[in-house]
Amino acid sequence: MSRVIAGVFAASCLALLVVMGMFAPEHLAQPDLSQAYASPGELPPFGADNRGRPLLEYAQQGAQVVALPAMLGGLVVLLFGTLGGLLACVGSGRVQAVVQGFGEVVGALPRLVVVLVVALLLPQDMRGLTPIALTWALLAAPGAMDEAASVAGRLGGARFVEALRAHGFSRARIYLYHIVALNLRPVVVRQAIETVMQVVFLEIALSYLALSDSQPSFTHNDSVRSWADILYLGYQVILDVETGHALALGLGLVGVVALMSLSVTWAVRAR
Amino acid sequence: MQRWYVRPLVRLIAALLLPAAVPAVITALIWALPGDPAAIICPPEVCSGTEELAKRWNLNDGPVHFFTEWIGAALSGDFGRSWRLQQGAPVAPMLIESIPNTALLVLFSFLPILLGVIGAATRVLPRAADGLLRILGLPPSVIFALAASAIITIKYGSAAFGDEAERVKLVLGALALGLADAAMAGAVSGVRGLMESERKQRYVRFGILRGEGVLQNTLPNALPAIIGQLRARVLHLLSGAVIVEVVLQINGLGDLLWGGTLYQDFGVVIAAAFGFAVISAGLLITQALVEIGVALHVRRAPKVVAP
Repeated sequence: MSRVIAGVFAASCLALLVVMGMFAPEHLAQPDLSQAYASPGELPPFGADNRGRPLLEYAQQGAQVVALPAMLGGLVVLLFGTLGGLLACVGSGRVQAVVQGFGEVVGALPRLVVVLVVALLLPQDMRGLTPIALTWALLAAPGAMDEAASVAGRLGGARFVEALRAHGFSRARIYLYHIVALNLRPVVVRQAIETVMQVVFLEIALSYLALSDSQPSFTHNDSVRSWADILYLGYQVILDVETGHALALGLGLVGVVALMSLSVTWAVRAR
Repeated sequence: MQRWYVRPLVRLIAALLLPAAVPAVITALIWALPGDPAAIICPPEVCSGTEELAKRWNLNDGPVHFFTEWIGAALSGDFGRSWRLQQGAPVAPMLIESIPNTALLVLFSFLPILLGVIGAATRVLPRAADGLLRILGLPPSVIFALAASAIITIKYGSAAFGDEAERVKLVLGALALGLADAAMAGAVSGVRGLMESERKQRYVRFGILRGEGVLQNTLPNALPAIIGQLRARVLHLLSGAVIVEVVLQINGLGDLLWGGTLYQDFGVVIAAAFGFAVISAGLLITQALVEIGVALHVRRAPKVVAP
């Protein structure tokens, strides 16, 4: 698959996610029991839930819940990764020791444990996916910084900068173009998009676990449905409830996000 | 040039601080929340005796008093009492019951990863397998856990809490955990990349010319980085274990932490987080010891290995 096709596919998926979220209804439609469990053929495009409400609205609200926080998380990792790579090119041993210490402390605990503690301690009015996504991104940042630093190290670090300076390039061009755009790009963009995917999956997992305990989710308010609601509905298919279409939709949405991540990684890979 | 002992030393210091730092941070944050911690357990508008309760549970004298009492008791095996999940019940038996299940789950899921890593390091596992593992690892742990839960429900129905079903849950949970979120794929491709780049080093070619084996030369230099990757994988598994345990209803440390979080039970959360911190500290110490061992073995600074 060429880079262009992968890039177009990834951009389309991302645009779909954003547009779905932008046009999400504030509240689900009124129940229409005559449409309960309607298949996609009966109520296009995705069918209906147990109360006849379109699953399209679930998908839109779910996209709204994840789109912005996931992208914010990705951006944080992108920035930290870039910073890690650039610091490695500065060549300061002390700075690297500080970065390593930060990584050791931040990365020492299982991420979900930290996320749950943060979710627990968030005041009621601050609850939402954004602080959780940012926490996840901060926990993912040391890994991104480490990988970017090793790429910069393989490049030659400070010696690479000196060599290009000798060729007459300005510092701004060396750091922004030669190091970030040409060399760090595959690593930091991959790390960022993986964080986007992980935040989406984290939201689904946290909401699903809360649903299975009949408790409100940490990631969104009760009036909004997440993609986990679609999976939760779809899972009832094993109890012989006609919700196979919801399961297919839930898995399809997860698949789209995973494929988007793969495509971005493919599109930005090093030549 | 960074001295060889800096990294293991930083890890050892972090390992020593972690089990105390985690409950300390949670305690500080509990007091930073609006309202009195005792009122969380026993809101004055619905229950009487809030002050008595605060005194009995060391909540009456500020965060430092609570923390020092809690950590002192924890060192003697008393992890306090549940605030809400099983109100008033001691947390220590909950921890004792849950830790073996989590340990088994993580161990079962780690074994195939370890085999994969060994296979990648020794080239027994072909590179062609990486793509397959990557595709298998795409779905998140919640999806794999749901599939495992569906199997359990269909096969065992109402007997899903019997001994046999519990064993099957552990095995399927471990499978879900080991494959999901690219746990296996990441470990295998990471170690393969590490070993391949190490094999290209000149000293390895000289070693081969001297009649020595490739692994004999590369392993001592790559081992610290491999151990680092394995530690990251175990942390990844511990993180995913929370989801798998809740979905499959395995009575583990993650399930306990989730229950505590959901019901705002700080007593349970602080103890469960302490449990995770102790495990994480153990992993840090293991990595530091391996790094020190390798450094002493090669009698020089361990070579920096590009991950």
